[in-house]
Amino acid sequence: MSDVPTNHWPKQPASAAHRPVTTESPGFRVALIAVVVVFLALLLFAPLVAVFAEALSKGAVEAIKSLANPEATSAIKLTLIVAAVAVPLNAVFGIAAAWFITKYDFRGKALLITLIDLPFSVSPVVAGLCLVLTFGANTAVGGWLVAQGYPIVFALPSIILASMFVTFPFVARELIPVMIEQGKAEEEAALTLGASGWRIFFTVTLPNIRWALLYGVLLCNARAMGEFGAVAVVSGKIRGQTATMPITIEMLYNEYLSVSAFSLAAVLALLALVTLTLKTLLEWRFADQLAAANRL
Amino acid sequence: MSRPLINRSPLPGMALSAGITLTLLSLVVLLPIGALLLRGATAGFPALWHEVNTPRIWGALFLSFKLSLYAALINLVFGVALAWVLVRYRFPGRRLLDAAVDLPFALPTAVAGIALTALYAPNGAFGSIAKDLGFKIAYTQWGILIALIFVGLPFVTRTVQPVVEEIEREVEEASATLGATRAYTLRRVVLPMLAPAAMTGFALSLARAVGEYGSVIFIAGNIPLKTEIAPLLIVIKLEEFNYTGATAIGIAMLLISFAMLLVINAIQVFSRRRIGYV
Amino acid sequence: MQIEIDHISKEFGATAALHPVSLSIPSGALVALLGPSGSGKTTLLRILGGLEFPTAGRVLFDGSDATNMTVQDRRAGFVFQSYALFRHMTVFENIAYGLRARSRAQRPASAEIARRVTKLLELIQLPDIGARYPSQLSGGQRQRVALARALAIEPRMLLLDEPFGALDARVRKELRAGLREIHDTTGLTTVFVTHDQDEAMELADLVVVMSMGRIEQIGRPQDIRAKPATAFVREFLAI
Repeated sequence: MSDVPTNHWPKQPASAAHRPVTTESPGFRVALIAVVVVFLALLLFAPLVAVFAEALSKGAVEAIKSLANPEATSAIKLTLIVAAVAVPLNAVFGIAAAWFITKYDFRGKALLITLIDLPFSVSPVVAGLCLVLTFGANTAVGGWLVAQGYPIVFALPSIILASMFVTFPFVARELIPVMIEQGKAEEEAALTLGASGWRIFFTVTLPNIRWALLYGVLLCNARAMGEFGAVAVVSGKIRGQTATMPITIEMLYNEYLSVSAFSLAAVLALLALVTLTLKTLLEWRFADQLAAANRL
Repeated sequence: MSRPLINRSPLPGMALSAGITLTLLSLVVLLPIGALLLRGATAGFPALWHEVNTPRIWGALFLSFKLSLYAALINLVFGVALAWVLVRYRFPGRRLLDAAVDLPFALPTAVAGIALTALYAPNGAFGSIAKDLGFKIAYTQWGILIALIFVGLPFVTRTVQPVVEEIEREVEEASATLGATRAYTLRRVVLPMLAPAAMTGFALSLARAVGEYGSVIFIAGNIPLKTEIAPLLIVIKLEEFNYTGATAIGIAMLLISFAMLLVINAIQVFSRRRIGYV
Repeated sequence: MQIEIDHISKEFGATAALHPVSLSIPSGALVALLGPSGSGKTTLLRILGGLEFPTAGRVLFDGSDATNMTVQDRRAGFVFQSYALFRHMTVFENIAYGLRARSRAQRPASAEIARRVTKLLELIQLPDIGARYPSQLSGGQRQRVALARALAIEPRMLLLDEPFGALDARVRKELRAGLREIHDTTGLTTVFVTHDQDEAMELADLVVVMSMGRIEQIGRPQDIRAKPATAFVREFLAI
C-alpha cells in the first residue's frame, strides 16, 4: 500500500528548482516539443493544406465544376462500388476469422494469424502483380473466365480483389485482441441457457465487439477507397470504366489538370479527415473496448 | 504427445467460421501469392536471375532499400521523440497532434504523393525556398526520402507510445536516487526499455517504405539508375508484357518482406524471453 | 547520519498530505514510519529521499540544511515498494548501476566495481545470481537485489518503502532478520515505511505512528505499547 499513487505523472513542475525527478528540464522539454511540432508541420500538416490550397487555387467554383465532369463522377461512383463490396466482405471475413481463432483451440493457429497479417508486409504493387498472374487473360483461370465473358483483370472484379487484398487484415486484427480479452465465458453461458449459435452471436458477441468492429471497418474503408498501387496494376486505367478516384487523380495530374486532380484529391483528403476524427472519437469514448495496445 | 488438430468445442459455428476464413484467405491472399511463386518456379531460377541481374534492376532495388533504410532511421529518432512528447508532456494542441500522427495511414498515397510534389517541386512553397538555396528536392532522391518518411511516420510512434505509458515512475526515480543525472537515466534506463518496441516500429516502417509506390512515383522523377524505385519497375515490366521480369522483381521484393517479418518476430521473441515483455 | 525534520508540510494541490511534522532521527537508528494508507508516511519518506519537495519546512542532515539538495546529491539508498529493478539489466548491472552512473572523475575502475558488486552479492547471501535478469528471480530475491543496489552507492542513509509489502509471510520473517543484520553491519541510519505493526514493533528501535498527515506518537516499541499517546494509536495497534 502506497500513500501516493505512483502511476500518476506529475503534470506541472512546481518550480524550476523543485521539478519532479522524472521530468526533463523546461528548456529541453520546450525544445523537444518545438522539434516534433516543426517536423509534423512540414511533413503532415503542410501537405494537407497544400491539397486544399491547390484545389481552391482557381476558386471554389472551378473546384466544384471539375468534380462534376463525367470522368470525376464515374471515378467517384466506381470507388464507392468497390468499397461497398470489398469492405463488407472483409468485415465478414474479419468476424469469421476472429470467431474461429478466438473461440476454438486448434493446431496451426499462429500460422493462420501470420497468413492473415501477410498483406500488410507485401508491397501493394506486388499484390497487384500476384492478381495479374492469377487471373490475367494469359493465365489458365483468367483465360477461361475471359472466354466465358467474365474478365477479371482490367475489370471491376480485380479492383475489388486488389482492394480486399491490401485491407484484408484490418477488421480481423482489430477484433482478435478484443475477443481474446473477453474470452468465451459469456458465449458458453448463453449456450447453457439454450441460445442458438446466431442468437449468441447477435445478442452476446456482437454487442461486445461493435465498437472494435466499427473501428476496423473505418480503417478498412479509408484504405480501400484510397488504394493506389495495387489498383494501378490491375485496373488497366480505362477512363470512365476502371479508373478509381486515386487512379483518376494520377491521370489528371499527369495531364497537368492540376485543379481537377487536387479537387478529387481534396475529396479523399476530407474522407481521411473524417476517418481520423471518428477514429479519435472512438478511441476517447471507447478506449476500454478497443485493442488499444495494437493500433497498427 | 501430439495434440489433436482441433479440440472439440460446444460453441457452434466452427465449420462456418473456419469455412469463410479459409475460403476468403485462399482466394484473396494465398492463391495470388501462390500464383506468383508458381510462375517463378515455372520460369526457373536462371531465367529469373537473368531478368533481375541488370544494372537497372539492381540499381532500383538498392535505391529502394537504401532510401527506405534512411527514412526508417529518421522515423526511428523522431518517432521515439514524438511518442515521448505525446505521453509525457502537456501542451496546447497535444491531442490534435496525437490524432494527426495517423494521417499517413488515412490519407491515400496518391493524394500524399501529389501534395508532397506540389510543396517540394521547384515552384512549390518549400521547393522554391530550397531552389533559392541552390538545392533541389522533388525529382531527386531527397524527394523520395521525404515521401518515404511520410508513409512510415506513424509506425515507430504507435509501437513506442504504449510502452512509454507503461514505464513505472519508480524505475526512473530509482535511477535518480542512485545518483544518475536525468540524461544518464534517459540513456541507460528509458531508451533501452523502449528499444524493442522502437526496433519493431523501425522494421515495420522499413517494410512499408520498401514496398511503397503511390506516394513516391509523383515526387521521384523516375529516372533509371537515379530515382527509379523497385515497385515502379514491376509496373514498367507489366506494361511491356514482360511477365517473367515482373515475377523476378516481385519475388525479390517478397523475399525482402519475409526477411523483415522474420526480423520483427525475432526481436519480439528475444525481448520477451529476456525481459519478459515487449 | 543524523536527520532532522523541521516543521515539514506537503500539499498536493488543495489536499494536505502532511501537516507540519517534526521528527529527529539519531544517527544509526532503525526507524519505522507506521500508519495506515493515506497517513503521509510514504510522502515523508520521499521528501527525505529528495523525490518530493516539501511545501514548507526544512530537512537537516547532520545539522546542515538539505531541503533543496537534489536527489542525486543526497546519496540516500532508496528501496522502492515495487523494487523498481531495471528489467533490461542483469543483477550485476543493476547493482553496479549507481557506481557506473558517477562522473568520470568519481567513478571507480571496473575491477573495483566488480569487487564491490561481488561483496554486496555475498552480503545479501545470493552470490551466484549476478548474471541473471530480474524476471528470473523470486520476489524475495528481487527485494534483496534492490537492497544491494541501494547499498552499492555507499549511501548516507537507507530509506525503504514497504520493503516487505509484496512478499508472503514466511519470506517476510526471513528478510526482516536480514535487514536488521545489514543495518547492524553497516551502521546506516535507516528509515522504513510500513503499515504492519508487528513488523514495526519487532524491527525498529524507534517507531513513528502516523495518521492523516500527522505524527501521533514517537517512541520505542515497548513504550508505545505501554503508553499509547492517543486513541488512534490505541486503536491502530489494537492494544
